[in-house]
Amino acid sequence: MKLWKTLLTAALGVAFAANVAAQQTTLRIFTGGQQRPDVMRKIADEYTKRNPNVKVEVEVGGATSDAQQQYLSTVLSAKDSVLDLVLIDVIRPAQWAAQGWAEPLDSYLGADKGKILPTYLKAYAEANQVNGKLMALPYFADAQFLYYRKDLLEKYKRPVPKNWDDMIETARIIMDGEKAPQLQGFSTAGAPIEGTVCTYLVPLWGTGSDITKDGKLNLDTPEARQPFQLYGRMKQAGVLPKNVAEIPTDRIRVDFQAGNVVFAQSWGYFWNRVENDTDSKVKGKVGVTILPHDKGGKSATCIGGWQVAVSAYSKNKQEAVKFARYLSSPEVSKMQAIMASHLPVFPSVYKDPEVVKANPWFADALPVVETAKSRPVSAQYPQVSDAVRSNMNAYLAGTKTTDTALNDMKNRLAPLYR
Amino acid sequence: MTDAAISTRKDMSERKLGMLLLLPAAVLLSLIVLYPIATLLFTSLHSVSNANPQAGEQWVGLANYARAFDDDRFWHSLWQTVLYIVITVPGALLMGLGLALLANKPFTIKWPVRLGLLLPWALPLVFCGLIFRWFFEYETGIVNDLLVRLGAEPLRWLSSPTLATIAICITIIWKSSSFMALMLLAGLQSIPKSLYEAAEVDGASKWQQFVEITLPMLRPAIFVALIFRTITAIQTFDIPYAMTGGGPGDATETLAMYIHKTTLDFLDFGYGSTLATLMFLLSLVATSGYLKYTRRSASRSGED
Repeated sequence: MKLWKTLLTAALGVAFAANVAAQQTTLRIFTGGQQRPDVMRKIADEYTKRNPNVKVEVEVGGATSDAQQQYLSTVLSAKDSVLDLVLIDVIRPAQWAAQGWAEPLDSYLGADKGKILPTYLKAYAEANQVNGKLMALPYFADAQFLYYRKDLLEKYKRPVPKNWDDMIETARIIMDGEKAPQLQGFSTAGAPIEGTVCTYLVPLWGTGSDITKDGKLNLDTPEARQPFQLYGRMKQAGVLPKNVAEIPTDRIRVDFQAGNVVFAQSWGYFWNRVENDTDSKVKGKVGVTILPHDKGGKSATCIGGWQVAVSAYSKNKQEAVKFARYLSSPEVSKMQAIMASHLPVFPSVYKDPEVVKANPWFADALPVVETAKSRPVSAQYPQVSDAVRSNMNAYLAGTKTTDTALNDMKNRLAPLYR
Repeated sequence: MTDAAISTRKDMSERKLGMLLLLPAAVLLSLIVLYPIATLLFTSLHSVSNANPQAGEQWVGLANYARAFDDDRFWHSLWQTVLYIVITVPGALLMGLGLALLANKPFTIKWPVRLGLLLPWALPLVFCGLIFRWFFEYETGIVNDLLVRLGAEPLRWLSSPTLATIAICITIIWKSSSFMALMLLAGLQSIPKSLYEAAEVDGASKWQQFVEITLPMLRPAIFVALIFRTITAIQTFDIPYAMTGGGPGDATETLAMYIHKTTLDFLDFGYGSTLATLMFLLSLVATSGYLKYTRRSASRSGED
């Protein structure tokens, strides 16, 4: 009798727990350490306040885009349902679509798709659609800018450079004048990492050319040599750091913040850190502008930014899509802009008075983001990236010449663009 | 029934029991060792198109192996791996032998010596790589700081192929010497003291004692240490990954790093498995070479 009672109680308990679970959903979202997980936490808490039946766990991993993808590849290749949502780099949607990792959002959005897509910056609406299918929703935008030391430019009465040669000359004059041996003229990513792809692409795009043309490899042009020649000139002038081939993205900020860099090519997060970090020696001395171009060319920049994808293996897709739509709303764009100087994905948010107050330079940033270009879109992007970055890195290290670097790059890319 | 027949029957049933008792271990071993190896071989004969992974695996026969044969990057990473083996295995053996001889001295307080031996071995490989990366860093590294203090120019340790290889080798030797030393120390402590006493009575010098007693008695320990160390050296990954990421270009990339890149970054599981199979063969060749040598020398010492 006693046993029977216990069993009944246990069965009732299980039924009750199952009922509660049906009402209560826990979503798990993955974000990289550099995408401000603290801000994501605040946004998620705000969402739970409005939707008490949804709890959000924020999982943080991988400091770099590559490290995150290595982890995610393992989880998703195993078809693990542990993650419901994932923040992915703007370069990934094509690969995620090909691998079937991201749940296409079209059927969930229905008629809303046509309504919301035009409200985004055009580049992001495009970047997230693969063969007409919506693979993810934009979370925040990003692009590369030229950061410079306002105080040093004023001291030597030099204007903000418009083209690369002016920039090299100005950097040289300031370096000669300051006589500080650790002062670098121009710093950009040169280590064998993702950011170094942009180090090659920005000067290439500045000439109006690109890696591919109509889906075919397009590196037999004189323009394809231009980036190597540009960095060759910089090396000769001695404005690049001697160890440029060892410099990853965040090292540029560390050096700049210590007052050791005149010009730097970096992303949006840079501003918030160099102006707000307690150990920054350059507070109030920083200017930001569009990247220089070749004489007669046009300025170009690399598009960055992060998207919210819903995992194809999630067990809570309906709720996950709802949360993704919240994360990709003008309201959240504004929260991020104020809390983390993350560039909004909606043009309308750039003019919001509170956003402008926190980031006076956002007004000038909008046209830059609007003209930013995408790195090659490919389901095999990791291979494309590897071919470009390792040869750019070898050239910067001085182990390859323009000819060998370009040839090796072509040979590695050729099988991917057959 | 004769006594002999009874004892054979007993042998048989005992043998059966023995087999039965071995079964769980055999099943476990085949699950965690044989099954993955079989899957690896199977996958290496297939190809998954990255551009269209939904199409599934296609049988390609030995095409992946032919591709490896023509792949400059494979040959370079193999060469770089062999370079690390040839430099760091003997390097660590010499360092380890020195450390073991030192630790075998009758210290009054033993723990600082033992701790010093254990610490590098207990440190995770990636930490070790990151720490030494800071040592060899261009602007803030301790190595360049020393060079500058001595009046020399700072060197680009991590972005010159030769210097990066040297820096990586130094790190690997530092890290693996303690493992060698631990193995050799165990060997040293099993050598009977009486041999040295007898040699001393015969008037042998310290060097003669080392060459005639220590080295021959230590040979089994040296071989075991060499086999373990060589196999892990073939799989060198963490330290160069943390120190240079394979740069400049792919100059310091090892075979294990190339496999990691092909499988986890490029998601090319077929070709990645082929490369892994080739690395497995390399380990097999190295190990069987050592084993053959030890067996031959063991039987020779048996004849003596």
